[in-house]
Parts: sequence; structure tokens; C-alpha cells
Amino acid sequence: MSFFSKSPWILHYDASSCNGCDIEVLACLTPLYDLERFGVVNTGNPKHADILLITGSVNERNIDIIRNLYRQMPDPKVVVAVGACACSGGIFARAYNIQGGIDKVLPVDVYVPGCAARPESIIDGVVQGIGALEQKRRKSA
Amino acid sequence: MSSLIVFLVAFPLVVGGLLLGIRNSKLRNVIVVLAGLVVAGASIVTAVTFGNGDAVFFGLPNGLTLGRSLLVLEIAIAVFVVAVSIQHRRILAPVLVLGQVAVSVYLELSGKMPELEPGRLFWFDRLSMIMVLIIGIIGTLICIHSLGYMRDYHRSSPLIKGRRTVFFCLLFVFLGSMFGLVVSNYLPLMLIFWEVTTLCSFLLIGYTRTKETIGYAFDALNMNMLGGLGFSVAILMLAGQPDGLDLAKLTAGPATAALLPALALLCLAGLTKAAQMPFSRWLLGAMYAPSPTSALLHSSTMVKAGVFLLLRLSPAIAGSSLGTLVAFVGMLTFLFVSLVGVTEQNTKKVLAYSTIGSLGLIVGCAGLGSPELIWVGVMIIIFHALAKGLLFLVVGTIENRLYSKDMENFDTLLSRLPLVSALALTGIAGMFIAPFGVVVAKWTAIRAFLEIPGWQGAALLVIMAFGTSLTLFYWGKLLIKVLSMRSVSEYERSVEKRISRFEWLAEISLASGVIGVAAFLGVISEQVVGPYALATFKGTSQSFLHIEPVILATMIAALLFLPALALWASRHEGYNTADFYAAGRPVTSGGVMGMALGATQTVTLRNYYLDGVVNGKLVFRVGTIACGVLLVTLIAVGMVAR
Amino acid sequence: MNPIVFGVLFILIAPIFGGLLAGVDRIVSARMQSRVGPPLLQPFYDLGKLLQKEARQVNPIAEPLLLGHLGFMAATGAMLVGGTDLIFVAFVFALAALFLVLAAGSVNSPYSFAGAERELIVLLASEPFFILMLAAICKVTDASSYQGVLSSAVMVAPKLPGILLAFTFVATIKLRKSPFDISTSHHAHQELVSGLTSDMSGRLLAYVELAHWYESAILAALVVLFFNWSVPLGLLAFAVVYGLEVLVDNSTSRAKWQLVLRSTWVVTLLLVGGNVLALFLIK
Repeated sequence: MSFFSKSPWILHYDASSCNGCDIEVLACLTPLYDLERFGVVNTGNPKHADILLITGSVNERNIDIIRNLYRQMPDPKVVVAVGACACSGGIFARAYNIQGGIDKVLPVDVYVPGCAARPESIIDGVVQGIGALEQKRRKSA
Repeated sequence: MSSLIVFLVAFPLVVGGLLLGIRNSKLRNVIVVLAGLVVAGASIVTAVTFGNGDAVFFGLPNGLTLGRSLLVLEIAIAVFVVAVSIQHRRILAPVLVLGQVAVSVYLELSGKMPELEPGRLFWFDRLSMIMVLIIGIIGTLICIHSLGYMRDYHRSSPLIKGRRTVFFCLLFVFLGSMFGLVVSNYLPLMLIFWEVTTLCSFLLIGYTRTKETIGYAFDALNMNMLGGLGFSVAILMLAGQPDGLDLAKLTAGPATAALLPALALLCLAGLTKAAQMPFSRWLLGAMYAPSPTSALLHSSTMVKAGVFLLLRLSPAIAGSSLGTLVAFVGMLTFLFVSLVGVTEQNTKKVLAYSTIGSLGLIVGCAGLGSPELIWVGVMIIIFHALAKGLLFLVVGTIENRLYSKDMENFDTLLSRLPLVSALALTGIAGMFIAPFGVVVAKWTAIRAFLEIPGWQGAALLVIMAFGTSLTLFYWGKLLIKVLSMRSVSEYERSVEKRISRFEWLAEISLASGVIGVAAFLGVISEQVVGPYALATFKGTSQSFLHIEPVILATMIAALLFLPALALWASRHEGYNTADFYAAGRPVTSGGVMGMALGATQTVTLRNYYLDGVVNGKLVFRVGTIACGVLLVTLIAVGMVAR
Repeated sequence: MNPIVFGVLFILIAPIFGGLLAGVDRIVSARMQSRVGPPLLQPFYDLGKLLQKEARQVNPIAEPLLLGHLGFMAATGAMLVGGTDLIFVAFVFALAALFLVLAAGSVNSPYSFAGAERELIVLLASEPFFILMLAAICKVTDASSYQGVLSSAVMVAPKLPGILLAFTFVATIKLRKSPFDISTSHHAHQELVSGLTSDMSGRLLAYVELAHWYESAILAALVVLFFNWSVPLGLLAFAVVYGLEVLVDNSTSRAKWQLVLRSTWVVTLLLVGGNVLALFLIK
């Protein structure tokens, strides 16, 4: 029996976002959306997390940190890129310091579009992430 | 029996004299090891001859008498103290010592000294047996340890003039006089040994002869001489009483009002020697002596002479207001020094505070006096002598490797000195973790406090609860430091290989002793300490250890866990100790963290010392004043009772 | 029934009790915040997942130390209801908590170390209370074991009102609730406050969680001691205390460690010390 689908813990990282998506991520935890219904916990520590939820795009300074956080997450783990910037670099894609979307550094499993991404679609993304998590577990088992 | 005792006292003195003339360190090593083995063997033979029976009394072997030797010795001590004091321009010590001599000379000349019963010079019972074994075995191990320690000590501090001949001479003289102290029944005889131990302590603290250490040495001398003066005035008062100078008869039962003033002064002597507040300062200064001195004199044996005397006096003072006051001095000392201990960073001083605290518990037990509490007191003596002796030796070894006594520099010890940290863990576990003696003793003490009626019982309980938790805090901090791990270089690894065989021998033996005594807790309790407690207080037969052996055994096994784990973990490779969570920042194996804008920062971790909540200096002062007031009351109560 | 049976039963049942309690706690907390909250069995799902996940370890010693923490916590409970001397149990309880501190301290990282030190501080704050509480209960009932207290004719709570009141205060620490959760927060992870578990992952974190469930069960068993004439009443009292803790948890912010230490000591000294003093003077 697998418990991953019932207890996905999230690490939320704000790469170089305008904070619009971050506010929507936090909105998911509020009474209106109550993400905890699905057993989601916003852990803030890669060593406890199953899903890395990233908003914003990769830049020169945070690239190592993103790699480091991902590396420190125990397997199985998935990456959910939230918002246009995380998916592709968004409107900042051509800026001098921006490398692009998260998939430039990490293997992204779920892309959540939107600028900013709506809480509904974030929740949808997390739930799809759970599916990917389950698949990875089965593959490694 | 009597010739054995004389041998125990005289042999170390002779060896000490011999060592004074030996400058070749190889020859010294041989003599110290051989003589140590003889001393340890003799102490075991004495214990076996005694056979764990009832108390025996005896005098000197045929043909020997004390004559005026005691007076001569006392004058010799006084001359020495006066000479040293003049050299260093001190005034208090000579005043105190001359006061003592005046008392003795007066007694001798006025003929008030009662006729000495020749067959009752010495008193050997189970408590003496325990003390003799502690001095003989642990003392020997510490002397052997010093052979290695002193070599490295002088290597790492080349500015200090080596006087190792004197050092080893003093250690052996100390052993001899300590043996004499714990078997004396005739009080003037005990006083002489008492003073010799004071002198040894004084000379060893001032070993390095710097301005600082000489100051601390005189601190110790003054306070202990004050106790010694109290001791001799007590003898003066007791000389007029029938059987007054016969310790066993004096303490056979509750004292009459006429004896209380003298007993109060004897308690004063015991409290100074045991470094109870307001006299705790000298033991902290004594930490500047080389570590084996701290192990031998200032934790395992000499300070135990103070509590030894109080345990002896216990049947006489228990139940009186004098006994209660003594108990509160001890228990308050325990509370205050434990509180100061959490703010202390110097490991040797933390150990000193812990020592004063443990002695305070024993003083508390002796002052209150009941079979259970005497049992507790003696159990703490045994465990403390082993575990704390071990810890001081280990800290000494670490100090010679890391050039620091600071607890903060002991971090990642497990990675750097794995075997040494396993020994340290054994010592710490022996001092405070549940199944070992000290906690078993505390637990029994709490049980006994519950039976004490009135506010005293409640106060003792509260003091015990807070004091115990405070000790948990400083031991916990030390454990965190010792048990933490990081990757170490080849060079750091190699440091442990340079520890001498003498040090390993002593430390491993003591660690085995800690474990052995814990394993045979039941036997020691039921066969030796229990019967002693019952004989002292004429109690009925009962069991002191209220715990199922299965649980005890499981717990002992569980606590071997920590040292065993340390040894196991140190051999385990393949972990990246720098792979900790640092908010995503990269960390190299040397503990260097990358910061914003390419800056780097080495990780240093510092324990909490409760800054802003506990002011160590203030607490120490408050404790000194509070206990000082109690002490004055104590003596006043003694005098008024007359 | 043989007391050892109680001990074994405790080891088996306590995790179920503790896990369900945590589940109820999360639902009640959610409702207080007008949310639906997770399913009742959520703590068990979390535990199961942690056990299935990879455990990234930074050193070889943390896992054995955490097993020691879990083992001693279970042993404390088993000894408590199994009839071992209550005062001895107080010492083992502290020892169990100490192993968690050591496991975190062994990591030698800033967050873990800060967590370990803070946990040591809450241990220092709460330990005098537990020793005094158990000693006072022994004194009142003249018993030394759990069964002895339960079968005593003396009603404990009416004689120890101060200590019971202080219990609700100190239990906040052991149940890891605001304002005293300065070392492990059950809320969203923050580096300092959850520093203790920073570098524990997978099954290591599961041990910590399981040990905490044992701890909750031990606290419940301790509350029952106050209501020794009726076990159901005792459990009801625990429920009330726990409910209060959840309410406090949701309506207060975190205190600094200095305040935690000072306030707990003052409460212990005044309420517990006063109660003990009264006990010794009146009896």
C-alpha cells in the first residue's frame, strides 16, 4: 500500500517571481481552498518534502540553490513549476540575468500555466504531481 | 590489621620521599607503576582481611607509640606554612596555622589531653573499606595517568618550569595521608592527616608557580586552614568530655547538648574541605592545577574527606537543628552551583561545579541522617569517585590534544578522538544517566525526603527537582558537543594515536570500573553499603534498591549504548556530514557555507549559556551569602545549645 | 492482571491513541480556522509515507540515537503503567527526551543545533515540574506505583489543585503547542522553530513522530493519576486539557525561550512548590 497520494508534503520555493504566484500558492492553504484536506503540508524543508513547488524563473544567483534544494529532497520526488515564469521564463525570459524556466535546471514533472496561476489550477497541478510521485515510487520499487 | 594500616600510610610516604630524588623519567615511570601496584594491592588485601565484617578498632603495632609525634608534626606543618607565607607575603594562613599550634601546645602543656586508649587509635569499618579501596585503586590509576599527562603537559606549556619530582612526591604523600585520614578514630591523629592533605592540595594547585595559581593556592590554603582551626578548637572543647576524642564513641548516637558546639566546629571543618558554599571558591581555583590533581584531590578523594567526616558525624547530628542546618547548606550549595554550572564554558569548571553539587547532596544526606540517606551518600561517593575521576582524566587528555578546556572547542570530538569520546561518554553516563548510581541515589533521596515532615521536606524536594534538572542541562550541552560529527582530516585523526599508554590504561580501567560498579549495583548495595547504613543508624534489615533487576539490567545495557555507539559510528564512513539543510546554500566538507554575493562563512556553533536569564556571578554571590548566613547560624546554634 | 501486561498493552495501544489524538487535533485546529481539515487518519498516512520514503542521513549516529529516543519513550510509558516506581519514571522520561536533543545535536548544523539547544531549554523548564508532580502524588497516596495510586483511597486531584493547574501549563511544552513550541513546531516548517528535525528525513522523522505519540499517551496516563478514583473521568479531563491546549495553540503566538523558561519556573515554583508545601504542612 502506498501513502504518497495521501500525504504529499510541499516545499515552496520562490525563484525570481513577482510574488503574484506565491500569494496564490499561500491562498491554497486558506479556508477557501484548504489544501490540507488532501493531506498537503507546506513544510519549508527539502528533507521533509515530496513535491518541490517553484514559482518564478531561474536566474544566475539562485540556480545553485534550486539544484541544492532538489538534491536534498529524498526520493521519490517531483517538481511542479507554477506560473508562466516557472514554465518558460515568462515576460522576463529575455532579461540579462534570467536563464529561463525551471526545466533548464530540474526535471519538471508538472507545468501549471497562468500569470498569476489560479489557486484552482495550482491545486490541480499538485494533484497531478501526486500522480507523478506515485508513478516514480512504483518505478523505483 | 594494624600493621597493614601502618604499611598503607607509611609506604606511599616513603615512595614519595624516594621520588623526590629521581630525575630520570624512565626510572620514575617504573617506580610509580610498581609502587602504585603495591598500594592498590595493599588496599585490596586490607579490604579482604577486613572481610566486610563489623567495625574493628586497633592501635599501632607492638612497641610503637605516638608519643609527642603529633605535636612535632603539627609544629613542622606550621613552620612550613609560615615560611611559605612569608615568602609570598600572605598573612591569613600563618595566623590560622599558628592558632592551631597554640591550641595543640596549650592542650599538651596544660595536661588536659585525656589519656589515649591505645587500642582505639584506628577505626576500620565498611565506610573505611570503601574509602581505602577508592584511594588505593583510583589513586593508583590517577598516579599512573599522570606519568603520561605530565610529559605532554610540559611539552605543550614549555614556559612552565618542570618540577615533576615534586609533583609525584606530593601525589604519593597525599595517598598516604589520605589512607591515614579515613582509618583514624582518634581525632588529633585525624587532624594531622587532614592538614597534610590540605598542604598537598596547596602545593599542587600552586604547581606552576605563576602569580595567578599562587593566589588560588592560598585561597585553598586559607579556607582549609580555617576548617583545620575549627577542627582543633573542636578538639580543645572535646578534650574535656569523656571519650570526646574517640570518634566512634562520639558518634555512636544523638549527641548531648554539651557536645554540640564542638560538633558544629567539626561540621565547619567538613564543609570547608568539601568546598561547600561559602567556601566553594577554593575548589574552582583548584581547577588551575594539572588535571590529574583535579581528578585525585579535587574530585575523587580529598574533597571526599570532608563528606567522609560529615557522614561519620551523621548519627550524632541527625535530628538536631545542627544537622538540619548542615543539610540545608549542602542542598542549597547543590542548587546554586548547578545553576552557576549552566553558565560556565570551561569544562573543568563545569566538572568542578558538578563535583561541589554532588558533595552538596552527600552533605545533605549526612545532615539529615537516616539509613536510606546514608546509603545514598555512600553510593554517590563510590560513583562520583569513579565517574568524575575518569572525566577529569579524559578532559586532561583532551586538553593536551586540543590545547583547550573550553567546552565549545570539544565539538565534533566523536569524529576527532573517537576512543576518548567513548570514555568521556562513559563518564558522563556514569554521572547522570538514569540507571547508574547517581540518579538511582537521587531517586532514593527523593523517596527519603518525602518522609521528612514539615516545610523542610517540601523545601528539600523543590531544591532537588530544580537542581537535578539543571545538571541535566549542562551535561546535555556537553553531550551534544561530544556527539556531533563532521569530516576530519588525516592529521586530526592522527592526534589520538599520540596519547600515552599510561593514560589509556588509567582511563580504560576507570571506565570499566564505572560499568562494573553499575553492573554490580545490587551486590554493592546489599552487601556493603546497605549493611553499613543499617549499622550506623541501628536500623532494621531492609532493602535499599527498589527496582526490579530486569529493568536495571536492561537500562545498563541501554546505557552502554552511548559509548558503544560512539565507537561504532566513528568507524562508519560514507556519510556526507556537510550535507545538512542550510536554506539551500552550498556547504563544503570543512563546514564553510556559501553566503549571498559569493561571500563565505565558516559554521561555528555555540551552546546556550542562558545569558540574560541566569547571571552566574550573581547566583554564586547570592549562594555564598545565603550559605554563609546558614553557617553562622549553624555555629551560633551549636554555641547557644550549650 | 499482571502489571507487565499493562506495559505491553501500552506499547501496542499508545501509538494508536497518540495518532488518533493528532488526527483529531488537526481537524479541530482546522475547524477553529474555518477549514475542513485533513481526514482523521491523516497522521497515520503521514507516518506510512515517511516510512516508505528514502532517508537521507548526514551521519551514522542520528538514526540509532532516534531509535533510542523512541525506545526510551515507549519504555517510559510501559514502565509508568507497568508499575515501576513513579519517581524513577520521571528520570527515564527526561532521558528519553534527551536522546532527541542528542540526535539533532549530532548533525552539527546551524538549524539542527539551534533546535537541539532549544529543546534542551524546554526540557530544563519542564523537568522540575514532572519530578515534583510525581513526588507529590506519591506523597498524597502513600503509593509508589501507578497501580498503587489508582487503588489508593485518597482522591488526588482535590489535594493537588495547584499541581493540576500547573500541569495544563507545562503540558503545553510536552504537547508542543504555542506559545511554547520553540523547538519543534507542527505548523509550517520554519528554520529555527523546527530546527530540531531539520536534517531528519524519511523513517528518521517517522521515529520522532511515533515517539511524540507515545509522549501524548504518557501525558494522558499522567492526567489519569490525578483522577485516580475514576479512569474515565481522568481521560475526560485529559480531553479537556488537550482541547484547551489546541485553543491556546491557535490563539497565541510563540514566546521567546527566555519567557518560556522564566514563566515555567515561576509557575512550577509558585503553584507546585506552594502545593507541595501545603501538603507537607497540613498532612
